[in-house]
Parts: sequence; C-alpha cells; structure tokens
Amino acid sequence: MAKKLKAIVRLQIAAGKANPAPPIGPALAGHGINIMAFCKEYNARTSTKAGEIIPAEITIYTDGSFSFVLKTPPAGVLLRKAAGIEKGSGVPNREKVGKVTRAQIREIAELKFKDMNANDIDAAMKQIEGTARNMGLNIVD
Amino acid sequence: MADPRWLEVSLTGDGEIVEAVSEVMGRYVSGGVVTESGVEYNDAEDEGTPVGPVRIYGFMAVDENLETTRRNLEEALWHLGQIHPLPPLEFRYIKDENWMAAWKEHYKPIPIGKKLLVLPAWLQNSFPDRIAVRIDPSMAFGTGTHPTTRLCMQALETYLEPGQTVIDVGCGSGILSIAAALLGSGDILAVDIDNAAVISTKENASANGVLDKIETGIGSVKEIKTGMFSRKRAPMVVANILAPVIIRLFEAGLADLVAPEGTIILSGILAEQASSVEAAAISKGLKPIEKLQIDDWVAQIFKK
Repeated sequence: MAKKLKAIVRLQIAAGKANPAPPIGPALAGHGINIMAFCKEYNARTSTKAGEIIPAEITIYTDGSFSFVLKTPPAGVLLRKAAGIEKGSGVPNREKVGKVTRAQIREIAELKFKDMNANDIDAAMKQIEGTARNMGLNIVD
Repeated sequence: MADPRWLEVSLTGDGEIVEAVSEVMGRYVSGGVVTESGVEYNDAEDEGTPVGPVRIYGFMAVDENLETTRRNLEEALWHLGQIHPLPPLEFRYIKDENWMAAWKEHYKPIPIGKKLLVLPAWLQNSFPDRIAVRIDPSMAFGTGTHPTTRLCMQALETYLEPGQTVIDVGCGSGILSIAAALLGSGDILAVDIDNAAVISTKENASANGVLDKIETGIGSVKEIKTGMFSRKRAPMVVANILAPVIIRLFEAGLADLVAPEGTIILSGILAEQASSVEAAAISKGLKPIEKLQIDDWVAQIFKK
C-alpha cells in the first residue's frame, strides 16, 4: 500500500501473552492502533506456542489501521537454546559463556532466512555468527 | 511529571545493530523489546520498504530495582559497544496510562460532504443532522481519517442514486459500503482479497445495522466476473485501492463491472498518477466526469 503506509513496528513478545501494558500499550497507542484488537489476534495466532518469543511485525497505515505477520523467534533466543544457556554474556568481548557449532548456526540461519535481510544462506550465517559473538558464544566446527 | 511509572530506554541506529542490541536490552526491560522503522517507496509498485534508522526501545518499571537494572543495561551495552560502536542510550520517563483507551484519542468524528459523518464506534453522535458511519479502527484500511476514504464518501454522497446496487472492490473496513447503504443504496457486493478485511466489513456493517444489505466475500474483479458472487455488475462501482492496482484491475475487466450509464468512483490515487488512471479508464470506454482532491490524493469519477 504505497504511501498509505506509515511505519513498521516489530514487537518481540511472548506468545499468547500480549496485553496493553508496556511495551505494547505505549508502542501502539501513539499510532492510534486498536490495542485490544491486536492483542486478541496475536494471542489467538500464537496460543499453541506458549513459552516462546514470537515477534510480530506490524505494518501501520496512515489512517491507523494495521496488519501484522508473525516472525521466527529472535536469533538470540534460538542461540541460547542451541548453546543450552539461560542468558548471553554481559561482557561478550571478555567473558565467553558457551559455544555453538557451525551446523547449529546453519540450522538457525535456515530457519530465520525468510525473515532476514540476507541474499544467501552464507550471508545469513554470518549475521547469526555476529549475534552469537555479541552474546559471548564461541563458534566451533 | 507526576508519578512516572515507566522509564523508556531507547537507542537509534542502523539495521546492523538491531539483533544484538535487542538481545541485550531484552534481558532488562519489561515484556519485550520494540523496534520501529519508517517506510520509503522505491517506486509506485513498492509496497513499502523499511528504512533506517531503526529505533530500538523497551520499558523498565520505576521501582526500587530501577537504578540497578538501568546500570546493568548500560554496562552490558558498553561491553557490546567494544565489539560494535553503538549510539548512546536515551531515557524518558512516562506515566502510566490506560493504554487500552489511550489509542482512541487519535479518532474524532469527521463530517464529510453535506450529509455524512465518520463516527468512532465508541462515541455518541454529536452531529444529529448527519448520517453516522460507525467505524471501529482495526485490521483493515478505512478508518475514515485517510483523504482517499473521505474523497470516496464525498463522491458517493454526490453520485449514488437511491436504490442503486453497488460493488465495492477492495472494501477494507467496509466503510464505503456502509456509507452507501446508509445513503439509501440497494444491495451491495463488498469484496477484498484479504480475509481480515472481509471479517472487518461484516463486523462494521453489523454495528451499523446494514449487514443484511451487504454481501461480502474474498476476491476481486476476476472472481466477480466469473460469477462467484450474486452479481456481476452494478450501476455504482467504487474502488479505493492504489493507482497501479486499479490500472491492473482495468486489464482484468474492472470497467465491465459498471452497468450501462453507471458510475465508477476510483481512489487511492496520488495527484501525479491521475493521468495514467484516466488513460486506462478511457481506454475501456469510460468518460471522466469529475476529479476531487485532498492533499496529495485524488478521487476520480467516471461514467459508462
């Protein structure tokens, strides 16, 4: 909808648990988005994925109407799962908290490829590797 | 500010840092991280490409842990900044609001033409002389605030004759079909390729008491022409979509939906696109009647 579009907002939120509290309320109210309508629809579409972070990418039109699509979980979440760690390193440049294999990186890149701004799987893997390093993960063969 | 309840933390940078910063910020903010980007258009066909910079933000509750949480976030981002230089964090206190209601502040009653009124569904009609089209803004285009919606409603008020049947191609929220029904049209066929729009049209039509007048369905010109719905043509056709789509729909037979002597109202057209839409319409045997404009947007009315 060329020119009828205003902004693209991506919410990294928990499946089935959308509610009007921050961040959803303040992120959407300013654009005139019907918050109840969004929460209801998001929760319905993600109800079978409880416990996962399922980002919603919301396309906001200039008249306050909107549409949204669900995205794959963030790379960080998938990397934490792959490495079996609870959270990334607070000091990723000095303190390593775990490791992931190149095969795991490829698997994540393949899963997230359609949501990524990458021309091929190698470019996607490089982005995932970057995120892994920023979390304090070593990459091993 | 009296009693701030939340601290908004944000950082604005290029797309490269989004994943890494979101990952770090997500550990410290409540409920999840938000990223927001503007949109640009490479050409008339472009549906909108996200364009930088990207704003990454989240909210921390103002409580006894705030200072510690904030310091931890700043430290974590400082370390991340040693790998990839980062723009500075920005902070802003916000008060707690009833977010469920706050978004409604964006909508006010909008008088259109001589008779119509777009009325947000939760408000009382303060213009008793006007015909109120009640709309609950949601997941379909057509809340009534966009110039193209207003232009089409204005044109319907002028050109729709009592009892005329109507076809609404790309019905969105159903606002134009509902306006037509309330203006005294005959039966209406409202179609959209997006199921969310069809659902929205039914809900809004029901809230306006005109659901029995409106047949809805998923589809476009092709589906109407092949007889998927109860009518194939009408003396009033309205399509508020976008210029390139309208031109393509003319190739698919949009003009065939207009009954002899009938009228078609087209919008979603930028002023600079009007001549190409007009050329497409004329090539299908339609005669230009009037052009209405608000800001950069026009509506064009043609007769068969």
